[in-house]
Amino acid sequence: MDISLMIEISPLLVKAAWVTVDISARALFFGFFIAATLVTLRTSRFLPVRWLARAYISVVRGTPYFVQLLLVFYGGPAIGLRLDPFTCGVVVGAFNIGAYMSEAMRGAIESVDSGQNEASRSLGFGRLATLQYIVLPQAAGLMIRSIGVLAIILIKNSSLVSIISVVELTYQAQRLTGSTYKPLEVFSLSALMYIVIIYAVMGIIELLYRRATRYTYL
Amino acid sequence: MTQATETPMVELKGVKKRFGNLEVLKGIDLKVDRGKIISIIGPSGSGKSTLLRSINYLEVIDEGSILLDGAQVNRPDLKGLAFERHINHIRQNMGMVFQHFNLFPHLSTLENVTLAPRKLKGVDARSARELGMDLLERVGLADKASAYPSSLSGGQKQRVAIARALAMRPKVMLFDEATSALDPELVEEVNQVMKRLAEEHMTMLIVTHEMGFARDVSDWAMFMDGGVVVEENTPDRLFTHPDQERTCNFLRKHLASQA
Amino acid sequence: MEFDFSPVITYFPTLLKGVGATLLIGLVVAIMSIIGGQIVAVISLYTRKAVNWPLRFFIWLFMTTPLLLQLYFLYFGLGQWILIPAIVVGVLGLGFHYMAYNADIFIATIKSVSNGQYEASRSLGFGHYATIFYIVIPQAFYRAVPQLGNNMIIMVKDISVLSAIGIAELVYMSQYAISVTFRPFEFYITIAVVYYLINVLMEAGQSWVERRAAIRK
Repeated sequence: MDISLMIEISPLLVKAAWVTVDISARALFFGFFIAATLVTLRTSRFLPVRWLARAYISVVRGTPYFVQLLLVFYGGPAIGLRLDPFTCGVVVGAFNIGAYMSEAMRGAIESVDSGQNEASRSLGFGRLATLQYIVLPQAAGLMIRSIGVLAIILIKNSSLVSIISVVELTYQAQRLTGSTYKPLEVFSLSALMYIVIIYAVMGIIELLYRRATRYTYL
Repeated sequence: MTQATETPMVELKGVKKRFGNLEVLKGIDLKVDRGKIISIIGPSGSGKSTLLRSINYLEVIDEGSILLDGAQVNRPDLKGLAFERHINHIRQNMGMVFQHFNLFPHLSTLENVTLAPRKLKGVDARSARELGMDLLERVGLADKASAYPSSLSGGQKQRVAIARALAMRPKVMLFDEATSALDPELVEEVNQVMKRLAEEHMTMLIVTHEMGFARDVSDWAMFMDGGVVVEENTPDRLFTHPDQERTCNFLRKHLASQA
Repeated sequence: MEFDFSPVITYFPTLLKGVGATLLIGLVVAIMSIIGGQIVAVISLYTRKAVNWPLRFFIWLFMTTPLLLQLYFLYFGLGQWILIPAIVVGVLGLGFHYMAYNADIFIATIKSVSNGQYEASRSLGFGHYATIFYIVIPQAFYRAVPQLGNNMIIMVKDISVLSAIGIAELVYMSQYAISVTFRPFEFYITIAVVYYLINVLMEAGQSWVERRAAIRK
């Protein structure tokens, strides 16, 4: 292995890795709100609203992320939607992960024992207050774990925005292979960066999980 | 006292409830006067738990009416949010104790008790703490104030659950098989707390399998089976000289199983 | 904005070829990754460390890096030393990727089955290997079916990524059509619909298979 080459290219890869982190973090942030909205819409009083939310989730989960990306980036202008590659990556990533996350959130909320809901309601708490004070704090642990899994999927999916020429980690790896002819060095270094990012996320998730479930071992 | 006899604390008129095709309450009438304690016994599936849950409106009734201190609990005229607001307000005046405790596991014992007064009545943190400690003292668990439910025994959990229900200063307490999920040696400590409440003239409705306790503590006893009240009387009379064949059979079977 | 789906109809035979290729690749990768995943799982559980550690390392590596990076490495990277046709790289790359995911599932189900069943089987007089092959592995397989189904449904969606290394599956075929007709929106919508239908069919198939597997369990 050519160590000096690896040192030489590492600043470029670190910069690209930061783009990977940036795009994924933004998508996760907006995806969270999209997911929360979807969960709310699915409990709406109006059947068409519930149905629409379900249809959206089903379509997003039933089609490849890659096709969604291509559709919005190349097909978007046909309906007046012109996004630069980075923004497109964030938007499609957020709307994609939002659908998956809404299912994870719903699952976590439903996992809380129904007796909790009854006890809270019997004290006089309303639906929203019950969710806020009783259900969400107990669903938080499971929710954090599932969001962590999705965050990792999001990071791995972000490699696909290289196709619409966002200079992130996978894009840079491919380009550097072409210019250095040292695929092993370039790819092992890029893989290492993905691994570092993913393990950092796993660490953060574990910390948040422990905080959210501290009550179980107090 | 005349006032008290005019408006019962809890009153049910012709309450009917169906689960699909199955009618579990077939027109129940019931009156509980202020400060009185009524026990409801009966085999499982008799509708006694459903009846209690209906009073708290955890079950939506199909027909009839339920009144709490003269105020109607079920309000077919109110829809959506208006009904939400109404029922939340009504429920603040009723304390409910569940078979499986349903303590909030993410809150300490004290927080379990003080959550409702703080958030629903806007009681400030210090007064809520005083109130909470006072109630935990009454159920004998002041030393467990900062413990979490997972570290408590079943009996302790149920005593905290009673304190939690009392924190809203309810007009009536509803006990839904409060000791059925407990190990036999833990039943007594919960019964003691309930007896003390009885001595303080709390109005109580008790659904129970504990015949001895029901007989000791209550002013009136009802036997339910198949969604109807088969027989009601003073506990002494109901438990020793029931008029109905079905009551007799139930009591005999029950005593045999306990022996 | 004006939509014109007539080019989609004109190029429908081209798209159909793409659908055919996608389904064929999916079938090959499914067979390869399920059988391979099973073998990898068994080897990594029942062999000496010298054998199973490298294997576990590769499972881990395939699971912690993106598919596209793996494909690029195999295609552009290894391509500098040996010439491998894109289709072989694509199928092997996707196959290895999902082999790792499936092996991960098999390892978990084999462990969960052998916890109780291993001793019961040994007590009946089955030997160590007989127990593993006749008792543990078949049960572990049926127990893995729901998760394998999920993986395969995700895998078929990932076939679209193979267009990035020039494999003539559905997305690649439509990109060709787009380059001639300049109708990206219409074509990508069509592809999304086709993929959605494939997905619906696969989910229906999954619940059918799960019902059958439940009987065998």
